[in-house]
Amino acid sequence: MDASTVEKIIKEIEHFAPSHESQHVGRVTSVGDGVVAIDGLSKAVMSEIVIFEEGKGKKLAEGMQGQSELYGLILNLEEDGVRATILGDTARVNEGMTVKSTGKILSVPSGEELLGRVVNALGEPIDGKGPFKETTMMPVERQAAGVIDRKSVSVPLQTGIKAIDSMIPIGRGQRELIIGDRGTGKTTVAVDTIINQRNEPKDNRPICIYVAIGQKESKTARIVEQLRRERALEYTIIVDAPASAPAALQFLAPFSGVAIGEYFMDRGYDVLIVYDDLSKQAVAYRELSLLLRRPPGREAYPGDIFYLHSRLLERAACLSKEKGGGSITGLPIIETQEGDVSGYIPTNVISITDGQIFLIAELFNKGVRPAIDVGISVSRVGSSAQTKAMKSVAGGLKLELAQFRELEAFMQFAQDLDKVTADRIASGQRMVEVLKQKNGAPIPIEMQVAILYAASHKFFADVLVAKVTAVEAELVEYLDGQHPKTLAAIKKTGTVSEDLKKDLNRALEEFTLAHKELFSQ
Amino acid sequence: MEHAYAQALWKMIGNGMKAKEAVHALHEMLLRLGRVSLLPKIGRALVSIAMRDEGRSDVVLSIAREKDESRAKKEAEEFLSEMHLDPKGVTVHVDDTLIGGWRVEGRERLVDASFKKYLLEMYNRATGI
Repeated sequence: MDASTVEKIIKEIEHFAPSHESQHVGRVTSVGDGVVAIDGLSKAVMSEIVIFEEGKGKKLAEGMQGQSELYGLILNLEEDGVRATILGDTARVNEGMTVKSTGKILSVPSGEELLGRVVNALGEPIDGKGPFKETTMMPVERQAAGVIDRKSVSVPLQTGIKAIDSMIPIGRGQRELIIGDRGTGKTTVAVDTIINQRNEPKDNRPICIYVAIGQKESKTARIVEQLRRERALEYTIIVDAPASAPAALQFLAPFSGVAIGEYFMDRGYDVLIVYDDLSKQAVAYRELSLLLRRPPGREAYPGDIFYLHSRLLERAACLSKEKGGGSITGLPIIETQEGDVSGYIPTNVISITDGQIFLIAELFNKGVRPAIDVGISVSRVGSSAQTKAMKSVAGGLKLELAQFRELEAFMQFAQDLDKVTADRIASGQRMVEVLKQKNGAPIPIEMQVAILYAASHKFFADVLVAKVTAVEAELVEYLDGQHPKTLAAIKKTGTVSEDLKKDLNRALEEFTLAHKELFSQ
Repeated sequence: MEHAYAQALWKMIGNGMKAKEAVHALHEMLLRLGRVSLLPKIGRALVSIAMRDEGRSDVVLSIAREKDESRAKKEAEEFLSEMHLDPKGVTVHVDDTLIGGWRVEGRERLVDASFKKYLLEMYNRATGI
């Protein structure tokens, strides 16, 4: 014990005033699988936090070993007691243990201090960077903003992914589902979106929250490292409930994440929250519900599984000016089995969200990455938030790609096709190549506009399909180096005016002349 | 099922019905429903309810040393009277880990005035735990 601690203890003794308040308590009657049955606590309320009294019968020295208090969360109120889930190590609870009521609903700390930090589902730091000093407690369960408090989505949230920003645009305050089989790049889309926010001006940059639910620790560590390397961690908070965490924490993590986000939304900030993934949260909630002996329904999920996700995703909102104008954009992720979107949980979440980005394994295996199936991916409200510049260059893109997919089957008969069909296939092939993008490399919106402008004006028509990506990379470098003013003007005005069109045409012509070797098929 | 029957029986008795009459009424109903075989299980469930109820109504005053009993009872009098309990009728338990002071627990209430609690609180505040 150091001198300062001794001094503090002396002060404590000098100012000692004994107080003995009566506390409302219960007693553990059974414990197992992270769930305890408690006798008593008849005045407890739903979602109340309780404290397990571990010190009873133990010597003082044992209580001074620095172990933090063990909490429980009441989830069932029954006739002769309550059932609670243990928010920590189950092995620390035993039968007969006294359980103290706190009268508090579960809350998590939030504030600017959390930026760049990794916390668990209870908001406790787990990155070894020390405790938080000044935070505000936010309730984990909160009623979502009402109709009067909201306004329509009107500001775009740029993902930096060409296929999304052009054809499935997302607005701030929207809930866009990312759905697909395992290993199709769902997390990559979400993480790239977080990374792309560094291209936004600081005063307009959304605070990002990444909630990892039931993920491997190694995966989360890799994401944290990637965000740090890309200078995205400084505006990001990671909420981690790994696969090794109790089901209760995996169930709570998304709610904790959104509670942290609400702190910023209430203060007028824009927030982007990624739930990776809600299928695992649903599984954790099923486990918990079965242990709590709630009646199972379809696929053994409890009856309120829809409400679990709807009450979470409803908290994504775009607030009115009177309420500060903040927003929470939700990007929930759902993992499908064998591409089956008609499963119980996928259909539930599809119906709750404002659109979905559907990633398919077939495209992924063909090398089309991000493997977005634009035919069945939609954004129901995002188009009203899309910039005029992007609208003007991406207007016919979805239709062109849909037509290409229809004609794709005829590609093997290429020699027998009429010219119109052959041209359409050739154009579609090049467009697919243009929309390909490496992971971890989001593209600023002005550059996307320039690339798509070039593609829609048949700029790549004379380039070999296999070389489109390389030519595009050269073009990006050229525009970045030689025409920064044109790009800056697109970004600033959000439109492609006639003057800017002329500038872009001139730039493309100059590039073609300077790189003739790339354009000879 | 047996738990529900046992609970009903416990409530009937609790509401003032004579135990014999309550059991008789239950037996008749079980006969009518053809569920007499449940009786032994109902009996066991009733015992556990009774034990739990006894545990609930039981109030224990813990002290660190036997000689502290009268002082502790005096200090705890206020809380015990809130629970409609006479300090003389309270169960006393010696727990030397308390170091000093006293602790009353029972009927969903806990008042901890032990030295151990105070020392631990001081230590936690000083060390920032």
